[in-house]
Amino acid sequence: MSGFTRRDFLMTTAGAVLASGFAGSSSAVASAPKRGGTLVGTWGGFEPQSLFVPAGGGSSPYFTSTKVFERLLRLTVDLKFEPVLALDIKPAEDFRSYTIKLRPNVTWHDGKPLTADDLVFNAMEYWKPISAGVTLDALEGAEAVDPLTVVLKFKVPVPEFFLKSVLAGKAGLVIPKHIYAGSNIITNPVNNTPIGTGPFKVKEWVRGSHVEFVRHDAYWNAGMPYVDKLVIRWWRDPASRSAAFEAGQLDIGTFNPIPAPDIARLIGTKKFIAETKGYSNSAWITSVEFNQRREIFKKREVRQALMHAIDRSFISDTIFFGRAHPSIGAIPSSNSIFFTKDVQDYPFDVKKAAKLLDAAGYPVKSGSRFKMSLVSAGWFEENVKIGQYLKQAFEDVDITVELAIPDRATSLKRIYSDYEYDVAVSNNSGSIELIPQTTQYYTTDGIVKGAAFRNATGYSNPKMDEIVGKMAVETDEKKRVSLVHEFDKLAAIDAPILPMVDLEPVTIARSDVRDHSLTADFMGESWAEVWLDR
Amino acid sequence: MIALFIDFARRFARNRAALVGLFLVLVVIGVAIAAPWWFPRNPLRIVGRPEIWPFVSPRYPLGTDSLGRDIAAMTAYGARTTLLIGLCASLTATIIGITVGATAAYVGGWVDELLMRMTELFQTIPNLIFVLTIVSILGQKIEYVTIAVGVVTWTPIARLTRAEFMSLRDREFVQACRAMGMGSLRIMFGEILPNALPPVIVLSSLVVAGAVLFESAVAFLGLGDPNVTSWGQLIGDGRTLIRSSWYICAVPGLAIMLTVLALNLVGDGLNDALNPKLRDR
Repeated sequence: MSGFTRRDFLMTTAGAVLASGFAGSSSAVASAPKRGGTLVGTWGGFEPQSLFVPAGGGSSPYFTSTKVFERLLRLTVDLKFEPVLALDIKPAEDFRSYTIKLRPNVTWHDGKPLTADDLVFNAMEYWKPISAGVTLDALEGAEAVDPLTVVLKFKVPVPEFFLKSVLAGKAGLVIPKHIYAGSNIITNPVNNTPIGTGPFKVKEWVRGSHVEFVRHDAYWNAGMPYVDKLVIRWWRDPASRSAAFEAGQLDIGTFNPIPAPDIARLIGTKKFIAETKGYSNSAWITSVEFNQRREIFKKREVRQALMHAIDRSFISDTIFFGRAHPSIGAIPSSNSIFFTKDVQDYPFDVKKAAKLLDAAGYPVKSGSRFKMSLVSAGWFEENVKIGQYLKQAFEDVDITVELAIPDRATSLKRIYSDYEYDVAVSNNSGSIELIPQTTQYYTTDGIVKGAAFRNATGYSNPKMDEIVGKMAVETDEKKRVSLVHEFDKLAAIDAPILPMVDLEPVTIARSDVRDHSLTADFMGESWAEVWLDR
Repeated sequence: MIALFIDFARRFARNRAALVGLFLVLVVIGVAIAAPWWFPRNPLRIVGRPEIWPFVSPRYPLGTDSLGRDIAAMTAYGARTTLLIGLCASLTATIIGITVGATAAYVGGWVDELLMRMTELFQTIPNLIFVLTIVSILGQKIEYVTIAVGVVTWTPIARLTRAEFMSLRDREFVQACRAMGMGSLRIMFGEILPNALPPVIVLSSLVVAGAVLFESAVAFLGLGDPNVTSWGQLIGDGRTLIRSSWYICAVPGLAIMLTVLALNLVGDGLNDALNPKLRDR
């Protein structure tokens, strides 16, 4: 965790806040937290397929499951790791083993204590084979030294920032051994009423409407959570979320809950604030994916040509109303540790795109070069418009486009299970650490049929696998950064999947909701510290 | 024959509201036919600045939507989609409905039982949900939307046809046909159907209006065919901007309202003209 200073951090977030135009002051009020009340929250997407999806499953189940499950660590807004379920995590000198000290007196929602056995189970039966996948390939064994100490052993040296990021990331949720042992974790029906150590217990999930969580009274952090009840409710479209805000039915919404033109209007009432903090460890992008199982898109020149055909400023200015900016390379510019500008860029140039397509062997024949099926994942309102825009952009270079904008479930199936698309528009959010969330879109072992938000393009380049392999074991932080730059350059040139725009997400909250957006990935935090000033 | 038609037209015209309805329907049909001449380019093209209000720019008389597409062009082309789906769905429903209803009434017995129970089965499923289910299974294509709407709206036609057939099948003229040795199919479709048809036609015209509404609902929910414009889709796309640029929803909304109203008025007029019991009331 060296090589990243507080100043770097301040520069990135200050920039984000200034750029947003509203410097929300959610946390500026210094007063003692009040207990009680019901907090109603949502996010700018739909209901999850299950409250907890062990293998990932996207942001929606991540949002709900993180209120119930906790991780060993969390990343604060100034990008420091802070203990949650672990008090301390220390690498050995050769970085081949790490000693984890667990927090004492932590209980699961059913009253059983959290022990080193749980952690060994998580490491070997959950993280390694399911949630982290290849990321923890090097994990050889986990051993409980005493009831609160576990040693993780690795085949190769493992960088500290990497391991801590994994443990504090989406894959690091700690699940109970006594519930899951001996069952298939992925299909266990308890995933719809998960039992964790977190501040909130699942009370009831009313499908199609909301999930109600109640306070876990025996929570290890005495006094927390501050609210008695947390309700996560889903609305189908942004306009009804802003109506819900105004009607007093909604307190806080993360990740662009309302239409961009409505933001200024709601802020104007002084009853709401817009907050851009809390997203640095989950940088959102909208990307375009090229299915390389199809002969045409297997050609790198075709992919590059199509990148030139897209006017990404139009997408960020018109479709996102300025709440996004064109991406450079595979890494979002908000990633202050690893971002580099020094990669192949694809400025909007229709003539060049046409020339490249001619050269690639696809000249215009009777009005069309070829036919393409374009699948734009319908989970965000903006994707509908991006799909419609891309259809036109590709038609401008004489490609016949058949557009489909399926609902969430069908989109996941078509893009990540059936690979039934030529070009797809999808989203993902990546952490500061690029392994595995970003790299698994590019590596060969990221191809897992049916696993959402991974390599769905079928791209496989030994050189790429080698670079990512090196990134995984490089313990020197500086050398690691230059390896990442190598990765980014290759990703940008090969362009199997590339971000079109980096999103600048915003959280909307009533001004009496306090202490939100204090962590680097607020949407995926437990929300124990949030309180209502009523 | 001509005298019959004149008689029909006279009775239809007696209902002033029906004339207004007919006029509006003809206008919509005219717009649908003329759309490619008025707006030669693809209506889904982005042509200008987003969110230009109506009557501001002479180039975009009805303004532009959130992406900068010409609402006038989209509405004109939307009329084609809407009418096409409405007519085809109504035709599908009428064909299914008449076949089922006529067979059930004429054959009777267990065939009648079976067909009517099947009709009831279809009737008990909420229409919109059934349409959405069919569309999400078959896919977001305009053909599938048409089929889906047709499949859910045939039941009233089947029941009406059956009732008409029941009252006609034992009349003297039918018995005379039987006595002459006419085949069942010929009796059903050559002799009974023309007599049973007038109320069915009235109902079919109302099914067109219903189909227009179904198509709009499907497109509004984002399950329509994204490769063609339709009024419902335009409303669906514009709904996030309803607080700032409400005209995006209002223009196609008005189009749907007027078309459905006009179709209903025409249906009333047809009822007056075709229903002999109301003659000279």
